[in-house]
Amino acid sequence: MFDYTYLPEMNLIPYLAEMMVKIVFIFSMNMGVFAPLLGWVERKQSALMQDRIGANRADIFGFTVFGLLHTLTDAIKLLTKEDFIPRGADRTLHYLAPFIAVVPALVAFAVIPFGGQYELWGHKANLVIADLDVGMLYIFAVASVGTYGAVIAGWASNNNWSLLGGIRVGAQMLSYEVAMGLTLVGIFMVYGTLRMTEIGAAQENFFHWGIFLQPVGFFLFIACALAENKRTPFDIPEAESELIAGYFTEYSGLKFAMFWMAEFLEMVTISAVLVALFFGGWQIPFVSHQMLADFFGFLGPNLAQVVTMLIHVGVFWAKVCLWIFILMLIRWTLPRFRYDQVMKLGWKIILPLALINIAVTGAVILLVR
Amino acid sequence: MAGQYKKVNRGVTLTLWERLYIPEVLRGIMITAGHFFPNLISTAKAYITGKPEQRKIMTIYYPEELPTIPEAYRGRPVLVRGADGKEKCVACGLCEVACPPKCISLTGGMRDDGTRYPTTYTLNGAVCIFCGLCEEACPEEAIVMSHDYQNLCEYDRSLMVYDKEALLIPQEKLTRRLDYIRRRMYSKCNY
Repeated sequence: MFDYTYLPEMNLIPYLAEMMVKIVFIFSMNMGVFAPLLGWVERKQSALMQDRIGANRADIFGFTVFGLLHTLTDAIKLLTKEDFIPRGADRTLHYLAPFIAVVPALVAFAVIPFGGQYELWGHKANLVIADLDVGMLYIFAVASVGTYGAVIAGWASNNNWSLLGGIRVGAQMLSYEVAMGLTLVGIFMVYGTLRMTEIGAAQENFFHWGIFLQPVGFFLFIACALAENKRTPFDIPEAESELIAGYFTEYSGLKFAMFWMAEFLEMVTISAVLVALFFGGWQIPFVSHQMLADFFGFLGPNLAQVVTMLIHVGVFWAKVCLWIFILMLIRWTLPRFRYDQVMKLGWKIILPLALINIAVTGAVILLVR
Repeated sequence: MAGQYKKVNRGVTLTLWERLYIPEVLRGIMITAGHFFPNLISTAKAYITGKPEQRKIMTIYYPEELPTIPEAYRGRPVLVRGADGKEKCVACGLCEVACPPKCISLTGGMRDDGTRYPTTYTLNGAVCIFCGLCEEACPEEAIVMSHDYQNLCEYDRSLMVYDKEALLIPQEKLTRRLDYIRRRMYSKCNY
């Protein structure tokens, strides 16, 4: 376990440099890699799951690059499209809503550790942008701000479908916010902290991963997380067959793209939270930090730490990609729940199960001590 | 109003295992993943080896890759040019009679050696319904439905009227269809 009291005695310049590198890395990872690429992954994966080939027509001089250029054409199309605001819409809120939707999806990543702590040339690098002691609570808070984006979008569009979508978002998020918080209480009890880096460090032992200590909490959390993401098993706010596109029916161009991006970034964030809480974060099973550092010891202490860091960051993102794949698999496998089924699942099944899980976890912890 | 609803029995009773939902979700995911991974592997294999037929996916990249046409497929009707370079057609006019939409019209003539041949043969592709009755009526295997299905549409209907030169195709190019016709004719399920 690392000592977290090092911050005041630290040098400002390396601290700021480390901060900038981490922020740029996470931002470019989210906006540069995942936001454009997930559209392609979604198309191709759903195609292969349904025995189709998928998007492959966009080409430059005959090179289609497996349909990757479709993301480029999407970007060009959305940038050059008319930015339509319906008559009678609240112009300010209509402008504001996509930003409120996309910013929380981006900033929620601040507390998720994508690597451990490494001592590089005398500077202690902690691979998390903001090592908050409230950790997971910050993600809950920010994620619920994202809900406002959708609700405001539904209300400001002056459209019946949008309003219905916005109301459904409000109802669904409210229901699942409660359950989601309670599903993770078990994890907080087991690890005794809300700080994401400490939870990650506590999972160094493979059998102390969240999935083994909190299997019920894991399934409940993934259900809630899917509901928070507003994707298919829980996509009643957008429900194409009922509400056209729900709360973003009246959005076009770049503002539509921002809702689209928010959805994908939320998926990345959910995957990252799942990895950080239940799947050992940056840890490799049966290979501890010290073992890796010793293995690359021939490079010298600093370079060994650098290699270890790179491996850990790579492992973290590989796990995140795996979870994105599984979330996509779920999205393209399950049909949509009915509205009453969503509410029933949230209030009558997940909430009681989460409460029972908390009680059982508490009892087990008492017995073990 | 309490009690004033009609209970619809859908004939579905779920077992406890099914109502647990998560096992059934996992089963569904296994099915879709069972499609995803073989498709991914076979598509990658087809891409590396350059053999599109190795793909397990049914759909094809149409203009670049062409589907294998089954031999019973009825494409554009064509006249067969025999091995000696002359039309096989003897201008009997049976196809003209058999044609339901009356798209065939021909006039017969006689060669110097006494064999008959069509002096003109016109098939209106805009009217043809690709039924294949001309092929069945023909006693000489002179008109067959080819496997030609591309570029049959035109913006001008007058361009879709095929004359004798446009219809004549050498015998060698139609062997697959001709073999099929003979097999069908002498098979037990000749209809």
